[in-house]
Amino acid sequence: MPPRKRPPQPTNASETPPEVKIRISPPSIPGAEAPPAPGPAPSVSILPANILAGFPPPEREIYKLVFSGGDKGMTQTDIRIKMGVTASTLTKHMRALVNTKGVLKVVTNVHKRGEKIYMDARLDPSPEITGGTWYRNGELDSEAVASARERCLEQVEKLGVATADAILSGIIKDYPSVGYSIEQIRDILRAMALDRSLEEVRSTGAGQFSDLRAGRVCYRKSSAPQGGMMEEIPCGVCPRIDECSPEGVISPRTCVYFKKWLQMDF
Amino acid sequence: MVSQHGILLAAGIIFDHFGPLVSKVCQCLLRHGALPLQEIVRCLDLSPGQVKNSLLVLIQHNCVQAFSSPRGGGDKTSTHYLAIFDNILHRLRFSKFLSVIRADIPESEALLEGLLHNGRLTFNQLVERAIYKVTEGSIRPAREEVRMNFNKLVYAHYVERCPKPEPFVDPLQDEQPTSTRKRAPKTVGKNVSFDKKVVNTASLSDAEKFSEIPYITEDASHANDSPHSDIASAKRKHEALGIDEELNSTIAENEVLWRANFEKFIFCLKKKFCAERKKPKLKVISRHIWESFFEDNLTNKDDNSVTSTLNSILDRVGQKEGGASMTIEHVTRVLEELNICPSSEDPDAFTLDLSRIVEASQYEEMESLVKKKYGQQAFTIFRLLVTQDCPVETDKIIDTTILDKQIVHGTLYKLWKDDYIDSERIASGTGTGNSQFFVWRVKSTFQEQFIDNLYHAALNLRQIINYIIELLLEGSKDETKLRHRKNILILALTRLDDSLMLFHDF
Repeated sequence: MPPRKRPPQPTNASETPPEVKIRISPPSIPGAEAPPAPGPAPSVSILPANILAGFPPPEREIYKLVFSGGDKGMTQTDIRIKMGVTASTLTKHMRALVNTKGVLKVVTNVHKRGEKIYMDARLDPSPEITGGTWYRNGELDSEAVASARERCLEQVEKLGVATADAILSGIIKDYPSVGYSIEQIRDILRAMALDRSLEEVRSTGAGQFSDLRAGRVCYRKSSAPQGGMMEEIPCGVCPRIDECSPEGVISPRTCVYFKKWLQMDF
Repeated sequence: MVSQHGILLAAGIIFDHFGPLVSKVCQCLLRHGALPLQEIVRCLDLSPGQVKNSLLVLIQHNCVQAFSSPRGGGDKTSTHYLAIFDNILHRLRFSKFLSVIRADIPESEALLEGLLHNGRLTFNQLVERAIYKVTEGSIRPAREEVRMNFNKLVYAHYVERCPKPEPFVDPLQDEQPTSTRKRAPKTVGKNVSFDKKVVNTASLSDAEKFSEIPYITEDASHANDSPHSDIASAKRKHEALGIDEELNSTIAENEVLWRANFEKFIFCLKKKFCAERKKPKLKVISRHIWESFFEDNLTNKDDNSVTSTLNSILDRVGQKEGGASMTIEHVTRVLEELNICPSSEDPDAFTLDLSRIVEASQYEEMESLVKKKYGQQAFTIFRLLVTQDCPVETDKIIDTTILDKQIVHGTLYKLWKDDYIDSERIASGTGTGNSQFFVWRVKSTFQEQFIDNLYHAALNLRQIINYIIELLLEGSKDETKLRHRKNILILALTRLDDSLMLFHDF
């Protein structure tokens, strides 16, 4: 007898209309506001006892356990171990709670794509799970990052030396429709300082920093990168350097990269 | 311990300069450390005479230091020979040393050239060389003139008296605290520290090393004729010491061996490198002050800092375009912005710590290579790992760099595979205990590996240059093209040598 086919797992709680409709908060828009603090939001409390009384006892317990996980939710493995039930039983209950009753939802962990996380349907998942404000549906929103970087660079070029606050104010003034938070701008500026697009400096309170209090972290445009003495010759970036020896099969005399570099045949 | 390619490069330099036998002996010493004559003969299967002559050549050119060491349990000693790797590599940069002198004391360039060509010479030999080198039609230099130019080199510490020929070193004894060398060993290791110990023991004190030749000659009449007779006569006033001084002078001229002081040249090149490195990043006014600071610095107290007085900086700034209108406050403020701090010893002087610029430049070089080899994302991740003092978790790398997870994972794998970074698996203490994290850090041996790659690249460049020279000697059709390519390679090697100095000598 062929194995019974399992119905496909729902990936999103909103795809199937729930039987018991609970008010679900709209998903947060990336960049709209600062990320919420981890743990259940103060406004969201556990479902009232009269609704829970309508659930079968195992589902009631599962719901309570998942709710205690707050906006970080809980994985199916964690629930199974804590509840001490078999995987098939748990799947049945989870399906009922997510699809039929709509009190729980499934979110994808940005760091572990294969791992489903269950949480109260009314909660927004924490940035640890969603990947933060630069992620949309578990994917990095490269376009949003690129445009934020461009706007930051534009402001630094305009201002010379500026703090993150000044850069944000400049962006809000020039692009009133964008809703960056100061944290988002700080993230972008830190990443830009890492790849040397910008330079992170501390204000001395004098000279070009005369408008800024001493000790504040500022950003200015980075000068052209220095160095590169090694990479100018083929050996610097040679993928076969470990196999190259003076008398070996690969040697400077037989090197195709050198031939190409010097535009000559040895 | 010198890396594999470092040894091959050093042996290659000696091969080109002194031939295969000397190169063999040198390579044997670099591979095995200090050895007595019999051991070298046994290792190389050469005759004792050949090995002895090779050692003499290497000692003459300051590439080997002899020392006596206790043998067995008794009072007997045996002579060991130690190859000095740094001095062998300095042979690559003689042209740079000459350019330092050309800029500072041009009249003494020929004398330094003599010392670099011959390794060690007495003053008399230098004078003979100076006279012999004179071209027809030009005036023969007077002995006093040569002495004056020579003393300028000694006074500026460009030239020093040679170290003791065969000091006694006991490998089991700790290093004497009264070491005359100021520089601490750059790498910690038994072999390196022993090498340094030998060099330190052989080295003379600063007072001995840089003691000039007295202005007393056997033929006093010649001295009176010279333009420096005033100095000479002033010296002669010390009648009580007259005979001693004459004797000293004779010894200093005829018996004392002199050589170029490589440490001083390396410091000059380090100073020049640091000054040039930061210059393009500065605006016009800051650049003038930066240049003025470097143009007139006091004698260095150590190898890591440069000191100049405020007055001399102001004088030099005043001579530059737009510098006359600058106030003391302005100059002081710019100096502080450039991390040039007031000296703790002299309130009117300013000091710059060169080690910070050197360290930053080393990282710039490594980062630049990572960028070229693996791309912009790898550069960002590598910089994050360099700037963090502790290992960084994968998710933290993804969050901080705001890069796509797949790209970060792929790049981390590439960097790990090529031995740039290290990873460690950490089991999570929370949840079911099944999850694990990976933390990443820049490999501790990365810098040594980078230096070994530099040696390898230099070795390859030298090999190709030699090959082109062979082709030229054979009489190739494309002689002009070959010469042009040879020049490109020589230039590339000169630039690569800057990088070698940055990582190994500065």
